[in-house]
Amino acid sequence: MRDSRIRRCRWWFVALPIVGALVAVGCAPAQHSKQAAGAVTVPDTITVGATLPLTGTESKAGGFYKQGYDLAFDLANRAGGIDVGGKKVKVQLKLLDDTTDQAKAVNLAQRLISQDKVSFMLGTYTTPLVQAQSVVAEQAQIPYVNGGGAALSIYNRGYTWVFGTLASIVNLSTTEMRWLQAQQDAGKLPKPARIAIVWENTSHGQDFRKGIQDWVKANPGRYTIAVDESFALDGKDFSAVLNKVKAAKADLFMADAHLPDYLTMQRQYISTGMCNKVITYGARGAEPDARQALGTKGVSYIMSAVWWNAQLGDQGLNKTFVDQFKAKYGTDPQWYQAVSYEAARALFAAISQAGSVDKTKVRDALSNLKIPSILPGGTLSFPAAQGGQASYQFVVQQNLPDGSSPIIYPNDVKKADGIVPNPSCK
Amino acid sequence: MSEVLALAVSAVLLAGFYAAMAYGLGLIYGVLRVVNLAHGGLIMAAAYLTWVLFTRLHIDPYLAIPVVLVVFFAAGVGLYRGLVRLLPRGAEGGVQSLLLLFGVWLILRNLAYLLFSGNDQAVRTSYSTASVRILGNSFAVTRVVVFGVAVIAMLALHLLLRHTLLGKAIRAAGQNPRSCTLVGIDVDRIYALTFGIGVALAGLAGLLASTLFAFNPSYGAGELLRSFVVIVLGGLGSVVGIAAGALVLAFAEVFSIYLVPSYLTAAVGFVLLVVVLVARPAGLFGQRVLG
Amino acid sequence: MRARLVRSGPRIGWRLPAWAPARTLVLFVGALAVLYALPLVVPMGDYAHDLIGLTFMYMAAALAWNWLGGYVGQISFGHAAMFGVGGFVAARIALSTGLPFWAGWLAGGLTAGLYGLLWGHPTLRLRGPYFSIATIGVGEATRLVATYWDPFTGGSSGLSLPLGQGPTKFALYWYGLYLLAAVVALSWWLRRSRIGLGLLAIKEDVEAAADVGVNATLYQDLVLVLSATVIGVCGGFYAWYQAFIDPQDLFSFDRSIGFVLMGVVGGIGTILGPALGAIVFVVVQELLLASYAQFYLGIYGLLLVLIILFEPLGLSGLLLRLARRLGWRPAAGRAPAIAAGPASSASTTEPGPGGAT
Repeated sequence: MRDSRIRRCRWWFVALPIVGALVAVGCAPAQHSKQAAGAVTVPDTITVGATLPLTGTESKAGGFYKQGYDLAFDLANRAGGIDVGGKKVKVQLKLLDDTTDQAKAVNLAQRLISQDKVSFMLGTYTTPLVQAQSVVAEQAQIPYVNGGGAALSIYNRGYTWVFGTLASIVNLSTTEMRWLQAQQDAGKLPKPARIAIVWENTSHGQDFRKGIQDWVKANPGRYTIAVDESFALDGKDFSAVLNKVKAAKADLFMADAHLPDYLTMQRQYISTGMCNKVITYGARGAEPDARQALGTKGVSYIMSAVWWNAQLGDQGLNKTFVDQFKAKYGTDPQWYQAVSYEAARALFAAISQAGSVDKTKVRDALSNLKIPSILPGGTLSFPAAQGGQASYQFVVQQNLPDGSSPIIYPNDVKKADGIVPNPSCK
Repeated sequence: MSEVLALAVSAVLLAGFYAAMAYGLGLIYGVLRVVNLAHGGLIMAAAYLTWVLFTRLHIDPYLAIPVVLVVFFAAGVGLYRGLVRLLPRGAEGGVQSLLLLFGVWLILRNLAYLLFSGNDQAVRTSYSTASVRILGNSFAVTRVVVFGVAVIAMLALHLLLRHTLLGKAIRAAGQNPRSCTLVGIDVDRIYALTFGIGVALAGLAGLLASTLFAFNPSYGAGELLRSFVVIVLGGLGSVVGIAAGALVLAFAEVFSIYLVPSYLTAAVGFVLLVVVLVARPAGLFGQRVLG
Repeated sequence: MRARLVRSGPRIGWRLPAWAPARTLVLFVGALAVLYALPLVVPMGDYAHDLIGLTFMYMAAALAWNWLGGYVGQISFGHAAMFGVGGFVAARIALSTGLPFWAGWLAGGLTAGLYGLLWGHPTLRLRGPYFSIATIGVGEATRLVATYWDPFTGGSSGLSLPLGQGPTKFALYWYGLYLLAAVVALSWWLRRSRIGLGLLAIKEDVEAAADVGVNATLYQDLVLVLSATVIGVCGGFYAWYQAFIDPQDLFSFDRSIGFVLMGVVGGIGTILGPALGAIVFVVVQELLLASYAQFYLGIYGLLLVLIILFEPLGLSGLLLRLARRLGWRPAAGRAPAIAAGPASSASTTEPGPGGAT
């Protein structure tokens, strides 16, 4: 019996290497033969693939992104299509629902590329999904323009096919700090000011924190970081972290949160009787949902910084966008629709500038793109130094007790002066 | 010092909610020896029911308590008669009922998802941001009310189990179902009632949770685990044991912010669960039943 | 004892070990060869090709989960912990050393195995529901710590693997196949060897098993380490497959649930079952993906309820019934009834060979 087992083992040891060698021979040529593409002719319709979280936890934002994409496609087709080497070509969006699930976003992107044969992709929403999905685009060498991923970690991987219209969250906190510093210089905030950073443990929060930390380091003597705590996304109870902020007697309460967490945290913040000279929740604060849930008084003087604001929309491209959007959907656009609209527009512009539907040419056109834009700064480009991520200042807005949220910074577009320190603190 | 005091009060208030979560799970386990893995899902479902009653019919969440209790009692009896009863009891049935009720949880999650989408919801009443001062610190009114309701529920459960005929029968069925049959107690009926009461208590916990936190269809996993921790810590000696377990967990979580980053406070309970299970295997869980 | 239970293979020059009868071996090698050659012969799209590769990995993972869940009867709701450990160790090794990818898989697997032993040794003394509950705690605690542990896991930003190095997705098909083949062989061996009998005894009654000289602690630890190691390797595979991993996804409770569902829906305790469960899992997700993605949890919940109530052997039990109806009889003299579900009423015979497909 024992003898036979040894022999049996020997048999296996012969068989495995043979199989292994076969594979090495078998699969090597097969993968190289895949990329043989024929000459690229301009089709009558260009199909662009995309997935969005139309259901699942981010379904609300996913719906907003869809509006932005749809509007861009509508406008392009209404103008007869996009101009590709002198030929007017219609564009069509093949949109699938990734249910806010990372694996599905990846899977569907793969399906769009290999089954539906799309040559270009627009991105999905929330950073983890974009980060996972963009890998597929990079591997398949498909130009991928997204308006839903802001994290540095998407763009510092050395990828060359991935582009984003969302400026980094580092810019968000830097813009806020720049405004706060001006207030400090004006004597409205103490020096040094004690900062409590409360960040959601996602790459969004990590970048927010990095922006503040870098700023504090670059301006010694002006700030001290009194609290530096993270919390889980979709946290239900923030008493632990708020207790720490309360104990640290911070001047600036700088949190970064998604909408549901902002609502829950601010509610606990108020009901534990907390009050800081400055309150911000990063990009959140001015949402109508929040005003409805917490009352105008509950959200007063909260400062927020966003990628885009409809108040910018009183001239030029912005006016076109806001007017067209209102005509189509009957509501005011928010930044979600603006960045997704711009992502689609950037892709169209690049195809047009490339004069071809050749993927490499369009990718190169995207890298060199410089188009007038509705985003702050007025020009959209994807600088290679930022790994293909657009870079611009945010617009800072502040909730006022009268229910409005005017832009308070940058100064050239501001509608009102910001108010610090928070007048509702005793 | 005042900070420690504030944290202590906060922990006591939290313990009330934790105890309310754990009653139902503990009762069902103690009597039927079935781990109700759908507990978290039922809490979530009750939160949605409260939310619907509040947003559609404008019934104040705390006034909706009777409605939720009745609905979930019926659901619990139905769950028992329709599903749980069909499985063998005892050791072999343990894993099967675990998986079965787990299936129920998945179905509940999916139903909630189809009905209400995956967005976070919260019950926001006019007083949900109001606060009261206790020992020099502000605390949310809702947390104090939840604590009060939890204490009342504890007393009611205690009275029910100790001073009524039904309570005696429930305790007897938990201790020795065979001799119950001998003395003429319809064990199956007692089981159904117990399951109903347990699920009704899960419903109560869901209602209370909806007034404190935001929730979505995946809500309940953490609550289920915390309920386990409470039961394991407190043992099944009595309703008071559950309250003690809840206090231990709440204090451990709240005061752990001095030791670990606040992000990891949730992990404290999970680690506690494993440690206690291992240190006292079966001991804490398998103690005398509610008597 | 073994000779009585398991017939040794026919004598054809050299003898096979008792746990691997010739017919099974032929089927196994045959299936392997067919699957090996399939993408080279049948033209299938990249998408299907990659998906099959991923399915191999899930089948291997489901089988490994089943060693603990099915053979020993300890249902783990925390296997995502080891999946994540394996994935992140493999990714870290790929990022910070020049070692080839398989060294990363191996290291990931071993680390996961050790981690499994660390929490498993104390908790495996618990039985039934207690063990399951403890694993939920382990899984969730691991997830939280991993998400917080920035320097190692990249925190919530996760890790991106270098593109263009290591195996391509195309090649992963075959690596997945090897992984699956090894795991199927191991499953078969575990089931048919002396250890398998010991595990069965433990599953039925720990104390009685100890009375007849089965070292329950050793056996359970061994099975958990094996299971955790394979799951860890699967995690490494997944890391290379996705080329981007983040802790919230790898360590998620839903992933742990996935392993349980594959095992139970397919048929707990068998070899065919979990493999079938994994295929169904992927196929169902695939079918629902484009239009009804939101239904899949509910469908699984429903399947789970129905299976627990009516067919403890899951889909493989259904197949077996169907085969019986069609006149198939398990070969005489094969290993005797192996109880799969504790209360499996109708069919307790292990399904036929060829579990690989």
